[in-house]
Amino acid sequence: MTVNLLHLIHQALFGAVAASGFAILFNFGWRDIPWCAASGALALATRTLGQDAGWNLEAASFVAAAVVGCAARFVRAHLGIGGNHLAAAGCIPMVPGALAAQGIVGLYALTALTPINPLASLVTAMESMLRVLFTMAAIGTGLAITTLNLRSLSKTSLPVVERPEPPQLTLKG
Amino acid sequence: MHLDIQKSLESVLVERAQLNQIAEAALSVARLLMETGAPAKIVHEECRRVVRGLGAQHVDLRSGYASLDITIDKGGIDFTRMMEVGPLGVNYRLAHAVRALVTQIAEGELTSAEAISELTRLEKGTARHPPWMVAVATGIACAAFGRLLGMDWAAFIPVLASGSVGQRVRQLLLRHGVNAFVVAGFIAFLASGLGALGSRLAGSTTVALAMIASVLLLVPGVPALDAQYDILEGHPTLGTARGVVVSMTVIFMATGVLISGALLGVLR
Repeated sequence: MTVNLLHLIHQALFGAVAASGFAILFNFGWRDIPWCAASGALALATRTLGQDAGWNLEAASFVAAAVVGCAARFVRAHLGIGGNHLAAAGCIPMVPGALAAQGIVGLYALTALTPINPLASLVTAMESMLRVLFTMAAIGTGLAITTLNLRSLSKTSLPVVERPEPPQLTLKG
Repeated sequence: MHLDIQKSLESVLVERAQLNQIAEAALSVARLLMETGAPAKIVHEECRRVVRGLGAQHVDLRSGYASLDITIDKGGIDFTRMMEVGPLGVNYRLAHAVRALVTQIAEGELTSAEAISELTRLEKGTARHPPWMVAVATGIACAAFGRLLGMDWAAFIPVLASGSVGQRVRQLLLRHGVNAFVVAGFIAFLASGLGALGSRLAGSTTVALAMIASVLLLVPGVPALDAQYDILEGHPTLGTARGVVVSMTVIFMATGVLISGALLGVLR
């Protein structure tokens, strides 16, 4: 595995910038925005390391989301910041919006009167759409698995409340 | 005998009035959490904590995309109520404030009337970043996204500017009640067109990427993640509805990009 350090720093830096921008859009307070930036940097750094190791986008995104999910739960436990929101803000830069747009534009190209090389266009568009689907599933699953597992580990079970019987109306007198 | 029946009916009416307030408090919490981007599981958990904190014993909540239904039970008397949900967005500070209030309610520190009044105060009074700052931050995020996608430096400032303009116009259109999908299509057309023209003028060699990066503010990332959470955590109806909205938004976004790309001769 060869790591291009400059590329890694670039991806982490712009992941942090993108996550901070979206944190302001999502109305995070100023105190929380540095944590969102750190979350975005961690997500992009992990994904880049994964891709440098030869993993595909989906696998790298899954691991990155799981790492960010764990880190967000840790930060939540220590700082009281909402873990789910922090993890989501960090993972937003990994959402393959560009691939989705390219995929749909590619599908539209097939509807032209005389599409140029329709088979190749279809394959490219479908590939983009499938990658969007699998990458989103990988991010969602990575976040959900950590959230569900860590929550169930830390959760104290709520008391079971029996549903009361309906009242019996009695007439006195 | 008549007096006893009258007293019994009066006590039932009083109970139902109390249950109505508890249901309103719980539904208001659920509605605010939905509107601020919380997944269904959080909405259900917090709603249950409110109901129990206010003294009812049993709660059933049904969360739909545009409405919520609740049935609560206290002392053997059931009460059912429904509430509409407004447009779903993301607002972390309001969601955090609502959840902090839920903790107070769950600990029995507030009555249902106080809880409702406090929720109204939070909804109206929770701070927001100024619109110009949100627009600039969104533009910066789009430009950073562009760099992550491989866009060159020449397109950075044009994408930042087009993303900022797109976000500001989006805020204005949504405030005027324009349909959210129409807004997505129009903003995609506007921002991608501005991004393409600007980056072309700046001498960029990645104009197509600049167009795509300019519209990434429209990608509904949080709703897409919420949709998956909901399906994974046993709320497939709400999750599917969210998924359909996400898909439609992306389709409108891509259509806007396609039209501006075709007009400018960038996307063929």
